[in-house]
Amino acid sequence: MSLTKKRGRGMAAAWYGIARTAAMDQAGAWAEIDDGGTAKVLTGVTEIGEGILTVLAQVAADELGIKPEQVTIGDNDTSRSPEAAHAGATRQTYMIGNAVAMACRDAKDRLFSEIAKEWNVEKEILQAHDGEIWANGTNYKMPMSDAVKICKKKYGVVPVGSGNYTSHHTGLDPVDGSGRPWQAYVFGGQVAEVEVDTATGEVQILGIWACHDVGKAINPKGVEGQIEGGVVQAVGQALMEDYQQVEGHTTTGSFAKYILPTSLDVPKVTSKIVEDPDPLSPLGAKGIGEPAMVPTAPAIMNAIYDAIGVRIQSLPATPEKILRALDEKKRKSNGKSIN
Amino acid sequence: MHKLKINLEVNGRKINKEVNSHYRLLDFLREDLDLTGSKEGCGAGECGTCSVFVDGKLVKSCLMPVAKASGKKIETIEHQGTPDNLSTLQKAFYLTGASQCGFCIPGMVMAATSTLRNNPDANIEEIKEEMGGNICRCTGYQKIFDAVELARDVISGKLDPKLLEQYSKPKDSYLGANVKRIDAPSKVTGRLKYAADMKMPNMLHMQVFRSTRPHAKIKKLDLTKAKQVPGVETIVTCDDVPGIDNFGVFIEDQPVLARDKVRYVGEAIAAVAADTLEAAKEAISKIEIEYEDLPALFDSEEALKDKILIHEHYKTNLVKHIPIRKGNVEEGFAKADLIVEEKFSTQAVEHAYLEPMAGVGYVDSDGTLVIVSPSQNITHHRHMMAKIMNLPIHKVRFIMSPVGGGFGGKEDMIYQGMLALCAMKTRLPVKYVMTREEDIISTAKRHPSRTTYKIGLTKEGKITAVQIKMIADGGAYGCSTEGVMRKAAILGAGPYRIDNLQMDTMGVYTNNTPSGAFRSFGALQTEFATESILDICAEKLKMDPFELRRKNMFVAGDLTHTKQKLNSASIGTVLNELETLANWEKGAPNSRGQIRKDLNSNDNRESCFLGARLNDKSRLSGGVK
Repeated sequence: MSLTKKRGRGMAAAWYGIARTAAMDQAGAWAEIDDGGTAKVLTGVTEIGEGILTVLAQVAADELGIKPEQVTIGDNDTSRSPEAAHAGATRQTYMIGNAVAMACRDAKDRLFSEIAKEWNVEKEILQAHDGEIWANGTNYKMPMSDAVKICKKKYGVVPVGSGNYTSHHTGLDPVDGSGRPWQAYVFGGQVAEVEVDTATGEVQILGIWACHDVGKAINPKGVEGQIEGGVVQAVGQALMEDYQQVEGHTTTGSFAKYILPTSLDVPKVTSKIVEDPDPLSPLGAKGIGEPAMVPTAPAIMNAIYDAIGVRIQSLPATPEKILRALDEKKRKSNGKSIN
Repeated sequence: MHKLKINLEVNGRKINKEVNSHYRLLDFLREDLDLTGSKEGCGAGECGTCSVFVDGKLVKSCLMPVAKASGKKIETIEHQGTPDNLSTLQKAFYLTGASQCGFCIPGMVMAATSTLRNNPDANIEEIKEEMGGNICRCTGYQKIFDAVELARDVISGKLDPKLLEQYSKPKDSYLGANVKRIDAPSKVTGRLKYAADMKMPNMLHMQVFRSTRPHAKIKKLDLTKAKQVPGVETIVTCDDVPGIDNFGVFIEDQPVLARDKVRYVGEAIAAVAADTLEAAKEAISKIEIEYEDLPALFDSEEALKDKILIHEHYKTNLVKHIPIRKGNVEEGFAKADLIVEEKFSTQAVEHAYLEPMAGVGYVDSDGTLVIVSPSQNITHHRHMMAKIMNLPIHKVRFIMSPVGGGFGGKEDMIYQGMLALCAMKTRLPVKYVMTREEDIISTAKRHPSRTTYKIGLTKEGKITAVQIKMIADGGAYGCSTEGVMRKAAILGAGPYRIDNLQMDTMGVYTNNTPSGAFRSFGALQTEFATESILDICAEKLKMDPFELRRKNMFVAGDLTHTKQKLNSASIGTVLNELETLANWEKGAPNSRGQIRKDLNSNDNRESCFLGARLNDKSRLSGGVK
């Protein structure tokens, strides 16, 4: 390693609230166990990239006893699907995941009621998984596709259901801010390892260790993807991204001027998921989208301090700022030695 | 419009066609051939979403005039595989979860294909460098690298291709299982249609005339010459709004099109819908405007003095102040052995979702106004649109198209109102796609912030009092400023038990680009200050930073800063797990970087140096495999 390249480490912690802030939050969903033992799930949401459609397919499959690939998820449409409010605030898995779970339970109850009649057993002993339905402690068993057929053709019932999930939040007191802004909180922490070139001021982030409580992780790989993506957005915020205006005119109006992290800038991210399930909701899941990027920038600034003894308190830590801070540090220590 | 004849081969098909001579290869592929898998993320060769092969070489098709493609063989993402017959690389992307929003992914697959074609043994450093021209805003690249390495090893025969089909079926439950993303096949093949990929019969194209002044009265707006441009169907201004003309996520203070004055550079003033994009652009260039400049505000603290008002009727530039009070800070500081006071600031940041804002508006057969756009909040948009268009709420229908990255940036209803006005006026479908530059200057950013911080601690490291004040620049319109201030205030002091707290966050209007919702919504700004100052305190107290946090962290039963009782608080577990995961060497943060023993583990990437590709001797000698 070159003499001018110095390494260091820093850490930071964080917390975050899940779903809409200091206001009631609600989401609705409809479900139908469909022909062929498949399912239709309608809810006012579509993918913004976080993997919500996959999470909802997993939830529906788990609740209904079919496979995720047998679930068709309706796209977000204010005239064709129930309201699920907005795609933000780290609320998708928590709010819509739980709404879908409840809609599926409702639809399944309808199906199970008819199949219990068919087999002349108690509804409570019925169970379904991976496309099969059976009655525990008996030899009754059949494919879901047959169960749907019987439910419709013999008993005249379409197994549909609806669900709603509410997260009870209150506004803040206008004087002291007291209130219950969320019912579920997540916590996280990250360690950053950096290499700073004292000759050029360039900072490279080599490693990030990220540990986040997400409640029950429905799709751990998806959670990891959110952590990695959040970390890299925060790397941009910490080191290079800087929207600039002069007298109101933007001077960084293209990706040539507005610098984003590329494949050469990103650290290796090692993630660890902590599961502290939410006791107030059916799934126990909480969220990860936004909290993933909160501790990264301070962990990086603390690591830069560890590496070269200068603290950047004004983001981003550009090479120019690092060099200026190093000059300042040198000037101060020279001053001291003269005194 | 000038035309020229070209002969070329696209995805194995011979094509002999007359094309618009000003078209780039990307326009030709998307507009004339409907090959919409190649995306336009920036139009300037910076992002790589439009990557294709031209005679086998990776080219950014937004930089190539279509005339130059004549006589060449073009290969696009549509030629790489189909959802039921994926290429090896596409299967690897699917397996590793390398696609999130998916907008960069067709370009990424092309760049990865090129990487492995050029260098089948590419190591990770070579892969990173070869793919350095393709930006991804969602994934952090890690799962993309994983996919390319996996595909490399399968193609070279080191790994069994069956690995790509692997799927460990969970026994009892799909909850907690790594089910492969159900939307991935449509994304890795470029088949998924985003708003900009939509076409409808008789569709018009919309363009927007924008302010070049930060704060000015509109003295005169002359549309005469613009209306005469052949192909122009309508030009709308604020005078065309039939209902109550304002929108905003928290405060509805923004008109669909500037009314009487402009408050920032890039603000929409008029919108043209024409039968071609070219006609719409020409009409924009013929709109004449006279401004009377007003004194402008660019600094948030200056704005708080209210000497100049951005929104006169509010009588103040303060958008929102959120106070939080707990205990008594004077008493708390009196008990402290150590008091630290510092200042912190954060910059404005662009969302840089790879999919620029885009949408289509039309009026349905039953008179329902339909807006298809990558909106992150169709529920609220429908409410606001009904009011703006003076329609019953069920006569407004919002459809959320696949979002090519949002991060909060697509929560504002910044262009849908213009689409609605044009569609209602013409009764024809209208499409609008922003250029990257237009998107950057006109849409909301992350709030830049300045924070002053005072913290008191005992010599044992227990926090006795915290006083925080953050001022954030909200820009010209309210957008999500109120909510951002609220979250910054509630969470800002961190997951720590603080008996005496005084927290104030303030968002203000200026004549800068509006600030709005952005992933981590204010908490990023204030928690940055807290986690930085705690490091400073840990050094002064000669205490390990984990230890300092453990001394103060929330435990179940504690009251939060808003006096809410926590039923559980996993921060203790998180800190323990993190310390182990990172193999952290204990010690105070006293710049011991050069002597610490926990550096350089295998969990780091290599330090980056340019020229990794040049290590390949065959390439040095100019040989291409």
